[in-house]
Amino acid sequence: MKVKNGKDFWAGLMFAGFGLGFMLVSFNYPMGSALRMGPAYFPTVLGGLLALLGGFVFFRAFVSKFEHPFKVFPFRLPLLIATLLVGGGAYFADSWFKGAPMVQYALAALALALFIGAFGPRSMFLVLLAVVIFGYALKPLGLVLATALLIVLSAVAGHDFRNKEIVILTIVLALFGVLVFVKGLGLPFNLWPGE
Amino acid sequence: MDFDLIRNLGIGFGVALSLQNLMYSFVGVLLGTLIGVLPGIGPVATIAMLLPVTFNLSPISALIMLAGIYYGAQYGGSTTAILVNLPGESSSVVTCLDGYQMARQGRAGPALAISAMGSFFAGSVATVVIALFAPPLAEVALKFGPAEYFSLMVLGLVSATVLAHGSLLKAIAMTLLGLLLGLIGTDVNSGIARFSFGLPELSDGIGFVIVAMGLFGFAEIVINLERGAAREVFVNKVTGLMPTWKDLKDSSGAILRGTALGSMLGILPGGGALLSSFAAYTLEKKIGDTSKFGKGEIRGVAAPESANNAGAQTSFIPLLTLGIPSNPVMALMIGALMIQGIAPGPQVMTERPELFWGIIASMWIGNLMLVILNLPLIGIWVKLLTVPYRLLYPSILLFMCVGVYSLSNQPFDVLLTALFGLLGYVFVKLECEPAPLILGFILGPLMEENLRRAMLLSRGDATVFFTKPISGVLLGVAIVLLLVTLAPAVRKTREVAFEE
Repeated sequence: MKVKNGKDFWAGLMFAGFGLGFMLVSFNYPMGSALRMGPAYFPTVLGGLLALLGGFVFFRAFVSKFEHPFKVFPFRLPLLIATLLVGGGAYFADSWFKGAPMVQYALAALALALFIGAFGPRSMFLVLLAVVIFGYALKPLGLVLATALLIVLSAVAGHDFRNKEIVILTIVLALFGVLVFVKGLGLPFNLWPGE
Repeated sequence: MDFDLIRNLGIGFGVALSLQNLMYSFVGVLLGTLIGVLPGIGPVATIAMLLPVTFNLSPISALIMLAGIYYGAQYGGSTTAILVNLPGESSSVVTCLDGYQMARQGRAGPALAISAMGSFFAGSVATVVIALFAPPLAEVALKFGPAEYFSLMVLGLVSATVLAHGSLLKAIAMTLLGLLLGLIGTDVNSGIARFSFGLPELSDGIGFVIVAMGLFGFAEIVINLERGAAREVFVNKVTGLMPTWKDLKDSSGAILRGTALGSMLGILPGGGALLSSFAAYTLEKKIGDTSKFGKGEIRGVAAPESANNAGAQTSFIPLLTLGIPSNPVMALMIGALMIQGIAPGPQVMTERPELFWGIIASMWIGNLMLVILNLPLIGIWVKLLTVPYRLLYPSILLFMCVGVYSLSNQPFDVLLTALFGLLGYVFVKLECEPAPLILGFILGPLMEENLRRAMLLSRGDATVFFTKPISGVLLGVAIVLLLVTLAPAVRKTREVAFEE
């Protein structure tokens, strides 16, 4: 059996995975009956349908009229395996390191970073990382520094990085953010660390 | 009835012409044009960012401004499509085909003028269509029970699926995935937090803005960076704006057809600006002399640009009459209404007539402003396009991040958006259209609730969806639609058409 349509192959796997995942988690909730549907009823039905459709799409990949290469996007299997290991560690960290929630958070964050890094090009990894860092830096570091981090990191993801331009852009956007978001729209951000 | 219409429109114009509302309408269309011109940031991201701000406005001012952003973006999107061959707005994709060719032949001016005129005509007609058709529809909607609502949503999802690009199977799967993602969070009946993995941040469910921003906004930037798109801007070639008489004569039919088609498709659940422009272009290619299409045919600009504006406006009909959003932007409008403490549905028209008719009147006024804004100010919009993408995308990222964060001031929301960005990238690569997923995500909880209620009322008898007349007809239409698309002949041409 040869995979003719790589896109169908991966899409089928993805849909089946999501469908089965939702079904599995639904087993934790009461099912109810058709008359009085429990919280598990609707998601179990939908998840089953999704898994079924995913299976169809998966098998279609072997007989498809349309040919697409098997390798659809950059994919790094070692990173995905590492994600699963670290993620599993994070899940059990609660019972292993009692009273140290930071360990669990750190492991979960690492697993997430590995997961994002397992798919797609380098530029995507950098852009999404920049976004996440902005989100978590906004409160402790303040709007100005978080903006600078976001702009510089995401600019690195691009094709040509020009030092001078990025410095100017950062200053302009930080100023814009302070004036428009905080002064103008009244969003409750602190501007500098520790305010 | 006719007297009512005039009186109602009178109320509407009275509200919309107040100085404050004129100002918000202006701000809305100006912002809309701006983000329409800029590729990579659309009305969804912009409205999402402004949603928390509207809390401080009156409901009518808030909705007037947000609506202005949506139809303003349709005007702005065409400018980018014609001058840069990039859709500034996703509904301007087909305008690129002939509009850019016209620009290369030095006829960018007439192309821009015709698209603005067509949009204005379509906007005016759509305003009247809403005024005429919304009240009777709302009356029907008042008779809707849970069974009817459920069937209507099934029809909406089926039409979104059928109209999506690419494989039908994948589109259905995306709809199901969207419905499932919509169920994340606390179940209203039992109080159990479903699929939340013990995270308190997930117990309220995932915000719609997070999903939309990740799948559309972040994913688009990621894809653009991977491709490294090069652009060629025809900045100096916009000279004479006025189209010739021949241009006007050629395009008048196309504008009429585009307007009619757009007005109809906008009302459909799952419809709106995007679908309307595609359909209008396809229709135009089948009529009259087709030899010039793809080589700078003015009809290929006039029809889709009229259609997307008409569709953008009439897609307010299902929202205002049934309380059901037909596309992502309308879902945000529901969010805006909720922030103001107004439950969307057929009762809005009778209980808050000034709100309903004020929005409609503001649309016409906003369209007038747009023509004035767009034609003389075209030089400014063109200047904006010369900003290189390497400066643009970090700025867009910042706006989107701030928009997401300000929803509830939680870093976790930004993290979730990044994850949906990753998912969006994978979807694009696997040719899975995200639009049906978004619609499913919005409708998921509503559908489950109505399904439960309908089943409870019928004592567990599922045939109720077919035996109730309105519900039966709606489901029947949905089934026929699905069967027709699945028919081998249609499927073959459809697959080939989308594969091209």
